[in-house]
Amino acid sequence: MSSNPAAEIQITIDGRPISVPAGTTIFDAARVNGIAIPTLCHQQNENPVGVCRVCVVDIGQRVYAASCIRQVEPGMTVKTSTGPVQAARRTLVELLMSDHPAPCARQQQSGDCELERLADDAGIQEPRFPRRITPRGKDDSSTVIAVDHEACILCDRCVRGCDDIRNNWVLARRGKGYQAGIAFDNNLPMGESSCVSCGECMVSCPTGALTNKRVVGTQLGQGDVLDPAELLHLPIFENVSGTFLELNQKAVVKRHFKPGEIVCREGEFGSTAFYILEGKAEVFLSSPIAHVKTEGGSKGFFSKLQSLLAPREGDRRSEESDRPFIPIDASVDLPYDNPIAELNPGDMFGEMTCMSYYPRSATVRARTDCVMLEMLRNVLDILQRNKTFRAQLERNYRTRALDSHLRSVPVFKSLTQDFIDRLRDRVELLRFNPGQVICRQGDPADSFYLVRIGFVKVSEQRPGGELVLAYLARGGYFGEIALLSGIPRSATCTALDHVEVVRISGEDFQLMLDRFPEVRQKLEAIAQERIEENLRHTVQAQNVPVDQFLAQGLMEAQSLLVLDLDKCTRCDLCVRACADAHEGVSRLVREGLRFDKYLVATSCRQCRDPLCMVGCPVGSIRRRNTLEVIIEDWCIGCGLCATNCPYGNINLHPFPAELDDPAHPGHKIAGVQVKATSCDLCHDHAEPSCVYACPHDAAHRVNPPEFFAGLLAQPAPSKGRG
Amino acid sequence: MIDELRSIQQQFGYLPADQLHELAAKIQVPLSQIHAVASFYPHFHLTPPAQAEVRVCADMACHLRGGPDLKRGLDQAFRGGGPEDVAVRDVSCLGRCDQAPALSINDRIYSNLDEHRGVALVRDVLSGRKLPAEKHDHHRAPVASDPYNGSPQYSMVRQFIENPDWSGVIATLKSAGLRGMGGAGFPTGSKWEIVRNAPGKEKYIVCNADESEPGTIKDRFIMENVPYLVIEGMIMAGLVTGARRGILYIRHEYERPREILQEEIDRCYREGLLGPNILGSSLAFDLEIFVSPGGYICGEESALLEAIEGKRAEPRNKPPFPGTNGLWNQPTAINNVETFTFATAILFRGAEWFKAQGTNGAFGMKFVGISGDVNRPGIFEVPMGTKYSQLIYEYAGGILGDRKLLAYAPSGPSSGYLPASMVDLPLDWTAVAAAGSMVGSGAIVVCAEGRCMLDMALNAVRFYRNESCGKCVPCRVGSQKLVEMLTGWTEGRSLSTDLQLLDELSHALKQTSICGLGQVVPVPIVSVLKHFGEVVDEHLTNRRCPAGVCFPQRGTA
Repeated sequence: MSSNPAAEIQITIDGRPISVPAGTTIFDAARVNGIAIPTLCHQQNENPVGVCRVCVVDIGQRVYAASCIRQVEPGMTVKTSTGPVQAARRTLVELLMSDHPAPCARQQQSGDCELERLADDAGIQEPRFPRRITPRGKDDSSTVIAVDHEACILCDRCVRGCDDIRNNWVLARRGKGYQAGIAFDNNLPMGESSCVSCGECMVSCPTGALTNKRVVGTQLGQGDVLDPAELLHLPIFENVSGTFLELNQKAVVKRHFKPGEIVCREGEFGSTAFYILEGKAEVFLSSPIAHVKTEGGSKGFFSKLQSLLAPREGDRRSEESDRPFIPIDASVDLPYDNPIAELNPGDMFGEMTCMSYYPRSATVRARTDCVMLEMLRNVLDILQRNKTFRAQLERNYRTRALDSHLRSVPVFKSLTQDFIDRLRDRVELLRFNPGQVICRQGDPADSFYLVRIGFVKVSEQRPGGELVLAYLARGGYFGEIALLSGIPRSATCTALDHVEVVRISGEDFQLMLDRFPEVRQKLEAIAQERIEENLRHTVQAQNVPVDQFLAQGLMEAQSLLVLDLDKCTRCDLCVRACADAHEGVSRLVREGLRFDKYLVATSCRQCRDPLCMVGCPVGSIRRRNTLEVIIEDWCIGCGLCATNCPYGNINLHPFPAELDDPAHPGHKIAGVQVKATSCDLCHDHAEPSCVYACPHDAAHRVNPPEFFAGLLAQPAPSKGRG
Repeated sequence: MIDELRSIQQQFGYLPADQLHELAAKIQVPLSQIHAVASFYPHFHLTPPAQAEVRVCADMACHLRGGPDLKRGLDQAFRGGGPEDVAVRDVSCLGRCDQAPALSINDRIYSNLDEHRGVALVRDVLSGRKLPAEKHDHHRAPVASDPYNGSPQYSMVRQFIENPDWSGVIATLKSAGLRGMGGAGFPTGSKWEIVRNAPGKEKYIVCNADESEPGTIKDRFIMENVPYLVIEGMIMAGLVTGARRGILYIRHEYERPREILQEEIDRCYREGLLGPNILGSSLAFDLEIFVSPGGYICGEESALLEAIEGKRAEPRNKPPFPGTNGLWNQPTAINNVETFTFATAILFRGAEWFKAQGTNGAFGMKFVGISGDVNRPGIFEVPMGTKYSQLIYEYAGGILGDRKLLAYAPSGPSSGYLPASMVDLPLDWTAVAAAGSMVGSGAIVVCAEGRCMLDMALNAVRFYRNESCGKCVPCRVGSQKLVEMLTGWTEGRSLSTDLQLLDELSHALKQTSICGLGQVVPVPIVSVLKHFGEVVDEHLTNRRCPAGVCFPQRGTA
């Protein structure tokens, strides 16, 4: 072998004398002379690895040489397509085809699976080797790329694309021998890995192992379709594969808005996110900031009660949540007093709507002429994983949103500006996919988390199964108990949907506690309450046989309206009392599950796993410390909680109200505001009016575990504690 | 990286994900690359292991000498998990072929077992009893080619420091005709010369002590008995080629030889035979031991280099060869343990001495391991040219239980099987090659009458399937499909097209695999078809195993 690059080397390929520079591979020497050698693992923009062996040629030695990686040597005589060479190639293709899910995803999508084409060329229809018995699996976790390990031929093209071309180092081989495969990070699902969604692996893949995932059934607004070149020109799309953008061309448009034009409205369902390229926009809530309030006149049981909309000052029911900011699905939070904020170029909004299909949390209106990108979730995913975009997003968050976000948590209201400034560069923004565990019960605690996007389920492993302690939305926080008391994590926190959290290190958290005794006090009080409440739950869960309970979903309940059917005369006074107490609209229906002689009326059960709280785009439904599920002032009436309640116990009621005219800023128009209502346990009264109204002592509000404990213990079909 | 992974595993018993994350940050290597390596080597666990991880050797010698019964006994005793946390698995050759059957419990190896002792050992582990150390014979066996015999060792190194005549050394080795004893047989003198002449700022000497092919146990014997000859050979190679660093790559199942070698290396450092100034001269050579994280493929020289570099042990595409582009892409001389040993002996006694050894027209000495159905399995140092019949009947004491010889493998699975009619072949490179086999590493495995040669072929092919690294398509997929096909033959599933398909598959494996492992995958079955065609035919046409080994579902009625 000569190392002089200028030297020309004479060889013969298929009888033709050929001269190429030293260092040229046989494959390239043949190619530039119009002789095509088939291959699967080799492509021109990657260093050859010689693993598929399909490109072997006969060079008159003991064994064939892989032409993609073998360099020419003086006098070499190469035969590219003798009978035996073709037979060996055919066997290789047949071996691969015997494990290939033909037609694979690529073949179905675009008809260009390279393996299936080679098989076709070789006339292989039914491979004679037995098929693989053990499944290799699929991975559907990424928003933008579908992974089908069954179709992977381990050509290493994706690995080289990810590592050598894009320098992302997410992909590698895993395992050994016939069990070998590709893996993201330490064999994580692609969507949970550190993949940046640049698409290089997918455009490198010769088969259906890595294919583009199309977004179906969602719509973009009318706008200009962008050329991939134009997108690549934007810094936020830096390092994304051009081919990949081309494949996703229809998933992003450029839209122009005139001053005053509405971009999106709160409460609307949607599936897109917006990124501001030029101009300024304002984001605000147009619903009146108020909740449904029951005004108690006399305590008489037929006295007419009134429900009306009241702001929180008029009704100090939310003592534990004096939140100065309303969390919305954008890079800013809205002040409670004046829920409006400005959005600027580089700002993104609608991420939760786009990723998890939540209703829009706020209305956005152009202030000046605006240019925005509107995108579907696959393009959003590409952006969210893109290093440049993430850096920008984090910068924006740190400089603009961290303050209000921290201060939106009442406990942190007293933090000083200099401390927030200290945290600014030290917090970390982390992403989690649906179902991913953020921290696990029993693990050592090292950080404190604030939810930026999405919903986090806080649950505990208990005898009898998992108990959901809370669903945390934007502005929610967790991890303080373990840090305060130096014990392992007391609960498991799981991402319910696409979640982003702000991580504050244990060190910074301790510093905060040391510097701000009030914060420590408040946190300690809250932590104590949580611990005590958890303890109560544990005692309940341990004392009650759970079989039937769980079967009816009653165990979830914290407070049930139970009618003793032996005593009940079906007079319906309970329902009427409820209607009377709530402006003529009853929040309970005298129907429901029967359990022994009891009827469990349809009425808010103040569930232990309050599914209603999942997905509220503005985080306006929550549980008070007294168990009651309440709806905050800034409910925008989208109705998601009503849909989510499995027991049909949340209703939407229209109220006449003066509303902002979205088309004419500053003007008010008469309209109807829908607000969600649920049983409020008639908290302004001594006891719930339904119970109070029952003349037969048939209606009871009970704590189900306690109530049913005795009942269930008698026939005892239970298998213990479960 | 391998050392880091090993220390994590020592601390936690396996490699927890968070530890891999920490390691990635610590050594600045992407997590994906760490996982790629950790998931490749059988020695590493990514999930917590059972309280007793029991691995029963499934390969040739153990397969012949009670391995399957041992496995069955353990399976029955600990089936279904039960309250006892035991995982029983097959494992590739543990290098105790002369003491078959062998198993490992939590990485400690026990041999000469029956199922009762095996089960008892596992119960000991479960009850927390400390396991006895592996038995060792501390008495060193005399080795005929050892030139020292009590006289001061390392005299070749001393002589070279006095008179650094590297061309004389190379000439002696060339004239002695010493060839690589690892199997490939490349002339040693030429290899050292290539490395000496190759440009490179750093050069390396690597000793391949990773013998892992079923039946191959000779290097273990050499390292335990004449460690100083191995090390002196490595130092000489370093001095001759200009390499200043040597690495002895040893399989992790060879704990005892590793200790012995380490003691010897320590002694050399104490006596100034290793280090920056050998015997006060300006010549330097450092030597360390690298313990393999496991797998037969690591014995392939370029895969071995990858392992030392902390990567997946996948063979490289060649050329370039290690002589010019070896460890860290620098010129590297890789030789087998036995080659270094003979190099020392030849330099001491002269090329003529080596050439005078041998019989039946062959020259030189060879260490062979004889295992399987023989009365005295063991390792023997014999003149080249000795007939296999003499090796089997005299050295190894003849066939077990007065049975007749059925077949023998001259060098484990890679040589294929030769019939009893060819037992008078001499241990001679050319003669055995002419018979369609090879002397290889001298791993002679003997099968007595009553064995099913199709079963033996399947056993050998299965070994290659299990040990395939998976880098290239023919070996990764082809070895699996071949195992499935042969398994079908032993279970009554075969197609009329199978023999044709086997031909095509053999051609592809032999011609297109990257390394020797893939190229020899079909050898065992091809040799059985050639020499025991009627046995295979009985299986395929009459669905009958003449030896009564196959078709298990029909029972023994």
